[in-house]
This record gives sequence, C-alpha cells and structure tokens, in this order.
Amino acid sequence: MTHTTAPDRTRAAPPLMRAVVLTLMALVVGFAAALAAIGFVEGVSWLNHALLISPRARVQLEGNPGLVTAATVLVPTLGGLIVGVMLSRFSPEGRALGPPDVVRAVQLRAPLPSTRGGAVSSLAALVSLGFGASVGQYGPMVYLGAMIGGWVERLRLGVPNLPAIAVACGVAAAISTAFNAPIAGLVFAHEVILRHYSMQAFAPATVASATGYVVANVMFERPPLFLVDFGGVAHGYEFLLFALLGLASAGVALIFMRLVLASAVQAARLPLPPALRPALAGLAVGVTALALPDVLGIGSEALRFATIEGAFRPGELVVLVAAKIVLTALCVGFGFAGGVFSPALLIGILFGALSWSLLDTAGIADTSGVAVYAVCAMMAVTSPVIGAPLTTILIVFELTRNYDLTIAAMVAVVFSNLIAYRVFGRSIFDVQLARRGVDLSAGRDRARLEAMTVAEWMSTDFPSATAEMPADEAQRTGAASPYAEVFVTDAEGQLVGVLRAGRPGAGSAADAAESAPVTFHADTTIWQAMQELGSFIGDAVPVVSRDNGRLEGVISEAALIRAYLAAMQDLRGEENAPV
Amino acid sequence: MRRSRWFLVVLALCATPAGAQQDAGPDPLTVVSWGGAYEAAQRAALFEPFTQATGTPLDIRSYDGSLEALRQRAKIEGWDVIDMLEDQAIAACDAGLLRPLEPAQIGGPAAMRDFMEGAFRGCSVAQNVFATVMAYDARAYPGVKPATVEDFFDLARFPGRRALPRSPDVVLEWALMAEGVPTAQVYDLLSTDRGLRLALRKLDTIRDEILWWEETAAPAEWLAEGRVAMAAGYNGRFFAAQQAGAPLSVIWDGRIIGVEVWAVAAASDAPEAALDFLRFASAPAPQAALAERIPYGPARRSALKRVGLHPEHGVPMRDHLPNAPQHGDRALVRDSDWYANTHALRTRRFETWLEGE
Repeated sequence: MTHTTAPDRTRAAPPLMRAVVLTLMALVVGFAAALAAIGFVEGVSWLNHALLISPRARVQLEGNPGLVTAATVLVPTLGGLIVGVMLSRFSPEGRALGPPDVVRAVQLRAPLPSTRGGAVSSLAALVSLGFGASVGQYGPMVYLGAMIGGWVERLRLGVPNLPAIAVACGVAAAISTAFNAPIAGLVFAHEVILRHYSMQAFAPATVASATGYVVANVMFERPPLFLVDFGGVAHGYEFLLFALLGLASAGVALIFMRLVLASAVQAARLPLPPALRPALAGLAVGVTALALPDVLGIGSEALRFATIEGAFRPGELVVLVAAKIVLTALCVGFGFAGGVFSPALLIGILFGALSWSLLDTAGIADTSGVAVYAVCAMMAVTSPVIGAPLTTILIVFELTRNYDLTIAAMVAVVFSNLIAYRVFGRSIFDVQLARRGVDLSAGRDRARLEAMTVAEWMSTDFPSATAEMPADEAQRTGAASPYAEVFVTDAEGQLVGVLRAGRPGAGSAADAAESAPVTFHADTTIWQAMQELGSFIGDAVPVVSRDNGRLEGVISEAALIRAYLAAMQDLRGEENAPV
Repeated sequence: MRRSRWFLVVLALCATPAGAQQDAGPDPLTVVSWGGAYEAAQRAALFEPFTQATGTPLDIRSYDGSLEALRQRAKIEGWDVIDMLEDQAIAACDAGLLRPLEPAQIGGPAAMRDFMEGAFRGCSVAQNVFATVMAYDARAYPGVKPATVEDFFDLARFPGRRALPRSPDVVLEWALMAEGVPTAQVYDLLSTDRGLRLALRKLDTIRDEILWWEETAAPAEWLAEGRVAMAAGYNGRFFAAQQAGAPLSVIWDGRIIGVEVWAVAAASDAPEAALDFLRFASAPAPQAALAERIPYGPARRSALKRVGLHPEHGVPMRDHLPNAPQHGDRALVRDSDWYANTHALRTRRFETWLEGE
C-alpha cells in the first residue's frame, strides 16, 4: 500500500505524436458530440410536435380543444412517470447526470459515472424535454458531449491528462453546436469544466469547438438560435441602468438557485417513492400551462416575444417569471432530467423585459428599447447560475454578432456575478457538488487534496508493540526502525498509545505509552490530514479503523508531504502542459 | 422551341393511355385557374399544347382560389381540374372536395425523385412555386426607396396607401417579420395567441392606409394607376405588369414562398381525362415553358434547369424566379399544413380585427 511516487501515469508518447493524437481525438469527439447535440435537439422538437407541446402543433388542433387540454395536463405528467421509472429502475446512480458530474470527474481526475447511467440519463432528458417539463436542454447536451469524450479514456493513447481534455472537447463541441457559438463553447469548457488554461487542453478544445460549429452550420445548416436587431445603446447613462439591472438579476438568480436546491430537499422528504416524484412536478406544469401555456417546455416563443416591445403586459411578465422559476425548481428538484441553463435564459429575458417595461412606464429616462434590457438580464441571470460570466458574454456576441449589445450585457453580467458569487457561490453546479462533499470553492488544489485519502499513502510496515511487552523491549523494536515512535496495541489490535523514542519508562509498554495526540482514519482526506498536522509534533500518525479502533497503519509526515507534492505537481503539470 | 414542342407531343402521347384516345369531338375538360397574366401564360405553355397533343378541348374557368368557390361552383359548372394553393388543396382534400391522388398516377419512381420534396399531398401534385412579394410605385418614392418588410409598415418614411389581400394569409407573417422575428420563427410565434395579437397590432399601425384587394390582378393594376404606393401581390403578376411598362419595383425581402398545385375535383365527371391533363402538366417541358412566361419556379428539378428566355420579351426568366439567389436571404416558405389547419382561426381573428375599424 505504500506509494513512493505519484500515481502511475500512462507512459507519455513523443510530443509530435501527442499533438497528432490530440488533434484527431478532438476532431472525432467534436464531430460525435455535435451530432449527438443536433440529434438531441431534433428529437426534443419532434416529440414536442408529436405530443402537442409546441404551440405550432397545438394551434393546428384548435378545433379540438378537449384534446389539447388533455394533452397539456397528461403529457408532462406521463413524461414524469416515464422519467421517474427510467431513472430509478435503470440508472445505477438513480438520478439524472449533468454538468456537476462532469466537473467532479474532471477536477478530481475521477472517471465519469457509468456509460449506462449516462445513457439512461440522456434518454430521460429527451423524454423530460420532449414531454414538456420545465427543464433545460443544455445540461443534458453537455453531459452527452462529456460522455462521448469520456470514452476516449479507455483508449491508451499515451497522452498525459487525456481524459479531462477529451471530456472538455466533448463539452466544447456540444455548447458550440447548441448555440452556434464556437468561441463560447471553447470558453465554457475552460471556465466551467477544466478551470485552467493550458495549451494542451486549449488547442484540442478549440478544434472540437470549431468542428461542432462546422457540423451545425455547414453540414446541417442549422438556423442561428437567436437573432436580435439592435441599433446600439443610445444614451451613456444606460450603462448605469445595465449595471443596476445586473444587480437585480443577481437577486432573481439567487431566488432561482435557492429554490432549485430547496425543492430537491423537500422532494426527498415527501412520502412518495422517487419514481413517482417527477410525475407530480409534471402535473403541476400541465395544470399551470392550462392558464399559462408559455411555461411548457423550453419556451423559445416566449424568449422571442420578450424582445418585442409590448408583447407582454407587465403583470403577465411578473406571473410568468414567478411561474417559470417555481416550476423549473419543482421539475429539477423532483427528479426530471434536465438542466437549469435554458430556463435561466428564459427567466432572465422575461425579467429584463419586465424591468424595461417598468422603466418605460415610469418614464424617468429615455432608453434604447426593450431588446438590450432583455438580453442583459437574460445573461445576468444565467451567468451566476452556471458560473460562467465569460461564456455568457461571448454567447451574446456570437448569437447577435452585435458589439453594442455585448458590451451592455458584459456590464450587467459582471455586476450580477459579483453579488451572486459573494452570497451564494460560484454556480449552482458548485453548490450541488459541495453538498455531495466536493468543495471547489477554495480552488482546484483543495478539491484535489480532499479527494485523496490517507489510505492510499499510509504504511503498514511500522514498529509496533503489544500492550504487555516491557517498555524497554518495545523501545528496542523502535530503535531498529526509521520511525521515532513505537505504536502500542492491545490484544484486539486496538491502538493503546504511542511510545516515543528515547524515553525509557518502567513497566509495560502500555504504561509508558502516551495517548496519540492525533489519529486518522483510512478515509481521512489528505487535506484534513494536512490541517491537523499543523499542531502535531512527531514522525508518523497512526491510522485507526473507524469501526473497531484497530490500528491499520501509520502515515508519516514525509508521506503526507509527498502526497501533497504529487497533487500539486499533477495540477501544475496539467496547467502548464504545452502539448 | 420547335424541338421542345416535338418533345411535348411525344411525351403527351406516351402519357396518354391508348384507351383514352377518343373519337373526334370529345367532351371538353373544365380546367379552373386564376385568370389574368397567370392564365395567359398557362394557355400558351399548357392548355393549347395539351389540346394539340390529345385533341381534348379545354374549357377554362377562373375563380378566386377560395374553398367557398370550390364548394359552390364545382358541381354546377362541372369542374374537373383545379389550380390551387397547396394549403387550400389540403383543406379541400380533408373536406372531401377533391379526388385522392396517388403519386403513381402521375409518374414512375424516377419522376418522383425529380419533384421537389413534399410535392404530393393527399389529393394534389405540386406544379410551381410562387412568391408573394411587395412592390412599390417607383414614381411615389423619388428619393430613398423602400427595400424591406419593415419599410412597408413604415408610414413615416414611406407614406402612401398600401394594397393588401383581404385575407389573413401573408399579412400576419409580414407583420411579425416587421417586428424583427426571424423567418424560422414566424409560424411558431403566429401559433400563439400572443403572436396573432402582435401581428394585428402591427397591422393597426397602417390600418388607415390599407386598400384591400380580392382579385389577384388588382395590386399590379392599382400600382400602375397610382391608386396605391405599395402593394402586396404575386411576383408573376408584378412581373407581367413590369413587362407591360408599369413603373413598379419588386421588394424581394421577406417574400413568402408558396406552392401551387393541381388537383382533381371530387365532382369531376371525367377523372381519367383530368389525370391525363395532370400527367401532361407535370412533365418537365411544359413546366419550364410556363416558367418562361411567368416567373413561377417549376416543381421539378429538371424543369428548373430548362428555364430560359421569355418567348416575347427575351428576358432571362431564371433571374425572376422566387428562388433566384440575388433576391436575398429573407424568404419564408409557407407551411401549407399549418395554413390549412389554422385557416379558420386566422380568418376569425382577422375578420374580428377588420370589424374593429
């Protein structure tokens, strides 16, 4: 069990070879992830049409209101039932997978959850979105991309850090294809998934992102997701308004994220098996949609209307923002498979339209029209939710190709992020991860150290003595070893104490031993161990079993420092890798 | 030209089952079309060659394209073949006013691949692709010229009366486009109550300047007469007026592309002869000949390749087809199913709005 070096890495291939491998990998992963993303979007849209979720399908059955009403209530409910059964029966994880799982795997160098779990989760997301649940499509698309990238890990390609890079490539291509925004895809992979910028990862992620763009634009000629005509910001003082809008948007984002988390907690307390929970949320969506059809599904119609002056009355916007927040929280919390990205976009843009109409009604100042406020708030609400200010700014730029709009959105995004980061955390992904015990708030290094345990680095070869052994004999055992302590155990193997070298005592080893000032368990993380070591003087710390107090091994200060250095070396190596 | 005429005859002979060859003086086949420049082009490219090739005389009638006309007149007047808008044909097919049509009744698998996608609906076969466009009287705007859908709704910059079809077709789409909605989303948005409201609100802004037309020939005439400054109409009609010397210019931005189809009336007493006509009209050569006389794009790919010069004016006709690349990107293809299924709703909303005057 003793480690003397960092965990084994694949033997590295020559640099040129690695560059070729990385490029090819990026092309293949990018291509596959882009196809998967397009397939996903098409599948959702087909289901929406077939199941009377999309307004375009519903309006054509206008003469048959009974059927439309029945579909509105029953389809999301039935979708919830299918998703619930799928996830609880067929997914090893028992829940939908998403960006937090990708972040965790990449940051901790752990493998992604099982392919089966990923496949079930993706299918469940397809059903969730197709049946009109109020969840987002980008989370599942990111996961699909990551899963495709994750398969590369199985090939032994002789490139260090390959798994994380391949996953990042898949994610970059997914976002690039989904938004038709290759720069945003590239930045998203770095900002949210990798969290460092090394040329080794940057170059392949760029290739994958560009591949996604080519697939979406050249091969499939997909229309741009969102086009806004905007003539420019008319007045300088409006930038102040954008900043204020950013602050207000942070409030909306905070409410949204808190509700999503709270709803998951509440769902767990319900006396209802997990398989049935999504159906309950689906029913809520369906019933609400009878009065407020805009809440069904992704809501791309509402997204567009929000940029048109007077499309909504202010009262309608208040109701719609509130309904969308609550229903999304309900759907995500109660176990529908889907993300929070696109609902956040919709909530944000509606909130922006609301803010503008209030401003316009108040008549305090002339404005440049609703579009810019809507887009600012859209990004200012989304950015803290996904923890990606740069990505959101770039998405505006790439979707609208409008410089003025981008600068305005940038101001709003930054102020929103500032507040939300302070009050809540980096993103809903990070907070969800922290609740699962992976705390990234103090940086990658801490998370990495938290993921390593004492067990991997402890030694089972150490000087020991039984409790009855005379103290001086026990001391002689210790003298023959490199350690400054002898570890005294009783007949059951439980730790009695520590006998320090050069302190001869009378009587038995047990009498002479001092109680150990610090003990670890096998699952104590290296980070915790380093913290506790601050007040420890000595050579090695005993590792005892949590169940029965038996001494399982010892970990020397030197081993802890080796573990720490190995983790740091890994991180530095990853961050500074040229190719 | 002579070669293609010869080709036509051969083709028509091939397409006509031997048994259908009738003795002298067969009953005339009643073909219903739209009148005006369109019908004139059809006479030269289709109707006369058909009669020459088969000996079947045609009785040509005109109608306004509505289902009501089909309901009321088809039986009384003995309609056989009808030239229809695709969405109207879908609705009429659902209503049992048309005879079902199988692709195999028109041609073999090779011909099927040659047709544009979705050319065959339950009762109809696509014949050509037309655009509804805006045009303006060039005399009305000596300075800056209108160039976009937005300009059509901009009375401040481009004052003057507007001629629009008195129906919820086309105008609602344009109203949303003028609100900045991309073509890809127009029908999605018009499918919501909010979208319809917004479109009618936009129409409200020009309500006082609108002159409604019901005859397809009207918009070009009114423009030529100076009765209106801008008008919406079919691109072929505007082309004909231009050739006749009317000083009008077409705005291709935001053109709405629709499909014109042939169908056989359920009331037809000569369904076999009607099918003969459909087979004749669906051949590439007559399709191309029609497009050379009026700029509606043929429904068959091979016909599109043949389109050449206008026989009288010598104008290269490909440049005037709705899908010519120089007309710009913003074009909306009519969703015929959507049109057919939402006709009642749109008409209701539109009429209510009209009454609100």
